[in-house]
Order: sequence, then structure tokens, then C-alpha cells
Amino acid sequence: MSYAIEAEGLVKRYGETAALDGIDLRVRTGTVLGVLGPNGAGKTTAVRILATLVAPDAGRALVGGFDVTRQAGRVRELIGLTGQYASVDEKLTGTQNLLLMGRLLGLSRSEARARAAALLSRFGLTDAADRLAGGYSGGMRRRLDLAVSLVSGPRILFLDEPTTGLDPHARGELWDAVRELVADGVTVLLTTQYLEEADQLADDLLVIDAGRTAASGSPGELKSRAGGHRLDVRPLLAADVEKAESILRTRAEGGLLSIPIHDLSVPPALLRALDDAGIVLAEHALRLPSLDDVFRTLTGAEK
Amino acid sequence: MISQSLTLAWRSLIPLKNSPGQLIGMLLQPVFMIVVFVYLFGGAAGGDRDGAVLYMLPGVLVQVALMATIGTGMNLATDIGNGVFDRFRTMPIARSAPLAGRVLADLLTLLVTIIMSLIVGYAVGFRVRTDPLSALAGVGLVLLFAMALSWGSAWIGLIAKSVTSMQGISTAVLLPLTLGSSAFIPATDLPGWLTWWMGVNPVSHLAGAIRGLMVGGLRAADLWITFGWTAALLAVFTPLALRAYNRRVR
Repeated sequence: MSYAIEAEGLVKRYGETAALDGIDLRVRTGTVLGVLGPNGAGKTTAVRILATLVAPDAGRALVGGFDVTRQAGRVRELIGLTGQYASVDEKLTGTQNLLLMGRLLGLSRSEARARAAALLSRFGLTDAADRLAGGYSGGMRRRLDLAVSLVSGPRILFLDEPTTGLDPHARGELWDAVRELVADGVTVLLTTQYLEEADQLADDLLVIDAGRTAASGSPGELKSRAGGHRLDVRPLLAADVEKAESILRTRAEGGLLSIPIHDLSVPPALLRALDDAGIVLAEHALRLPSLDDVFRTLTGAEK
Repeated sequence: MISQSLTLAWRSLIPLKNSPGQLIGMLLQPVFMIVVFVYLFGGAAGGDRDGAVLYMLPGVLVQVALMATIGTGMNLATDIGNGVFDRFRTMPIARSAPLAGRVLADLLTLLVTIIMSLIVGYAVGFRVRTDPLSALAGVGLVLLFAMALSWGSAWIGLIAKSVTSMQGISTAVLLPLTLGSSAFIPATDLPGWLTWWMGVNPVSHLAGAIRGLMVGGLRAADLWITFGWTAALLAVFTPLALRAYNRRVR
């Protein structure tokens, strides 16, 4: 099996804090790796190292077979980066942003024009082509950003939280765009805070927390480890919380008890047990795990 | 590398075409300055208006040029802040192209502003009293000095925490340099310390040299002192800016 991205033992320190504290990752060619983690987990640092923007303090990384520190020039010929902040030039129109990249990459004027027009139409921006990017909506800006990073026809694409701050509709559109790229054989490394996004797009997942790998595997594997569903229960009376804790065998947090459910026949029995104990519930809900839950389960930080 | 720098210079100039307001503002700046300095202050100083125009227009050119250098650092700081810089750095292009393109674009904009200032100056009675070649040399001298100073601006822009702090620092440095010089007022009838400052202020000598080249009465000392300062600025700020840049670019 060939890997488009391979990294071993990546460490990056900023002063006293270690943004990355020994991360290994591999992305199979033509697949999507989702890197999940909360803010400050080290996702962006990892992307910046792999995209040749910062050098790791330790460890090594190969992108497309080239070393990111010693062969940064070769790596840059293969990659595209769409950052957390849509890095388009707000004072240029959509077309001009794309032309700029094309010309910088050495395309002729007519080639650059043709590619700009093709990318604008592919991302549904043809109507906005001659408007200043500064006036674009958040979703349009991200799509333009993605288009700009595709001018070079990269085989490996880094997407750093590409949908953070987008509304569900714009998010869906961006997901479709990413799927199309993957269908064309592009390898994608995607960071996200959203489990759903990783679920939708990623073939493999890497969960990182405080600069370390918390878990890795396919989305299905990780979710089953986190428990498919969770049951949330909030007793009406504070006096009942302790009793409920002993029945559900978990600790309450702010009066709320939350436990992973592996078997959907369990919740009714648990609710009945609570009822039998005379505990009145202010609320109870069965829900899919949130990213928070996955973290707590995977990092063992069940507080 | 050269074509990449030219492309990036194009990118820096396009916004002027996209938002004509900015261009008009840029062109009106010398008009306002001439009105204020020649008509308001010139009148207040009691001198005749024609004499004031001849004395002050070179000062306006210097003022416009020095203020324009702030743009270099501001634009670099903006690019760094919003991630455009990172984008360039992940591309297979020359590392120095973004910096060179920026400085080139700023010199071109400055040239346009200077030509505009001269046109306005002509409309209110300014005349080159020497010869066209000397006048061109004067324009060249402003550009040269501005280019040297824009490396200082670039350095501040590269190390500044934000665009706003960049702007604050630059203005604080430039205002005493331009206003506290003999660019607009001859250093006579002023407190001793101010006369002293005007004498050492490089902007006084730059304005004096340009005045000499355009109107006549060039003093060699002004020219040499200006060249000396230009060389000193380049010697200090080019390495500083390049070092800060390389640290950003790795």
C-alpha cells in the first residue's frame, strides 16, 4: 500500500508548551484522513509542518515521498493548502485571485484565464467572478479559497478546518467539492472539530488531544469505541442525583448524568430502574455521541 | 523569480483599478497637501504665494513619498495576518518574490503620486527652474530615498503584531521626520533645539536636495547627506527586513 503522507514522531514546541508531542500519521494515496481534535489540540500545527510552513523540532515527515524540511520545494509542487481563515486577497475579484495563482505558477495568460474560468464554474462562482472577494459570503469565500488552492492541480490537499463557521448548506456544498476531488484521485488531509464532517468525508480518522494521538482508526471503529449512543438524564430534584449516580454507575456533571449506550434495549430498562427508585426526571434524551463524548471516552478523561 | 515578482506587483496594483476610490484618494492627497501648505501655511508665513509654491512643492513630494512607505509594511502585515502569505509560501515560487513584488508595486504607485503632485504643482504655479534632466534626477532621488525607507517599513511590518500597531509605529516615526524638517518651513526664527533638529533631520536635506535639483541653488552637502542616509538606511534595514522575512518564510 502506498502512502501519500507519512509522518513519524512529529514534535513542535512553542516556548514551554508542546503543540505537538510525538504524532505519527499516515494517509493512503487517494484517501481522506480526518484529523479530529478540540481547539489547541495541535491540528493546525500538524498541517503547517506537513505543508512546509514550519519545521518540526523532532520527527520527520514525507509528503508525496519528499521530506518536508529538506525537500520543501518538491513538496510544494505537489500540495495545496486551504487554511482555517480563507486566505484569499479581499481586494481582488474571484477571477483575479485565480489568475494571480496561475500566473505565479508559470501558466500563460490564456491558460491561467481558462483555468480560472473552469474553477469558478466548478465551484458555482461564475456569477461572482468579477466581484471583489471581500464582498463574498463565508461559504463563497471558502469555495474560492479551495479553488485557489486547486489552480496548481495538487495531488495532495490539506484542508484545515475548511467548514468552521459555515452554515449547514455551505458546509454541504464544500463536502461535495471535497468528494469530487477524492473521486479524481486527490489525497486529502482534513482537520475538523466536527465528528459529522469526519464521518462524511474521512476514510480514516486520527484523534489528537494536547499534541498526542488519542486514537486512530476508521470512523466506524472509533464511534463504536465511543459508544454508539448516549443517554442523558437529569433528575428534577438535586437530592436524587446521588441515587441516580449509583443506579447508572456514572458521575453527574452539573446535575446531568450521561452514559454510553452500546445496546439500544438498555435505556428503557435504566429509565424503569430510575422510575422504580422514585426519581423524577426533568429531562432524558438518547442521542448520538458528540465529539466531546468521543474525546472523553477515547482519552479516558471521563470527568 | 522576476516574472513572479512582476506578477505579485500586478497583484498589488490591481486593487487600485478595482476600487477607484482608493486611487482617487491617493491622487487627492498631494492636492490637499499643496492647498494646506502653500495657501494656508504659506499665506500665514507672509511670503508671496509664488515663492511659497517653489519652496514647498519639493517638501510635498517628500511628505507624499515618506507617507507612502508606510504602505509597504502595512500590506505585508495584512498579508501575514490573513494567511495570504502562507499561501504563497506553500507554492513552488521564489522565496523573495512576495517581498520584491511588494516593494516594486509601492515604488510604481509612488511614482504615479509624484507625477500627480507635479501636475497639481504646475497648476498652482510651480515651475522647474533648472532643466528637465535635473528635475528627473530629483524625482529619482525621492524614489531612491523612499525605497530605502520602505525596507524599514517592511521590517516593522514583518515583526509587528498587527496591522494597527504597524500603522501606529510608522506614523510615530514619520511625523517628526517630515513635519520637523525644513521641507515646508526654512529653519529660521525657530527655537534653537528645533533648528538643531531640522539641521540633522535627513528629510531636511532630502527636501533641500530636491529643491536644489528642481528650482536651483543645489548644495552639494544636501545631496551627499541624502545619499549617505539612503546608504545607511539600506545597510541597516535591508538585512533586518530580510532576516525577519526569512524567519517568517523559514
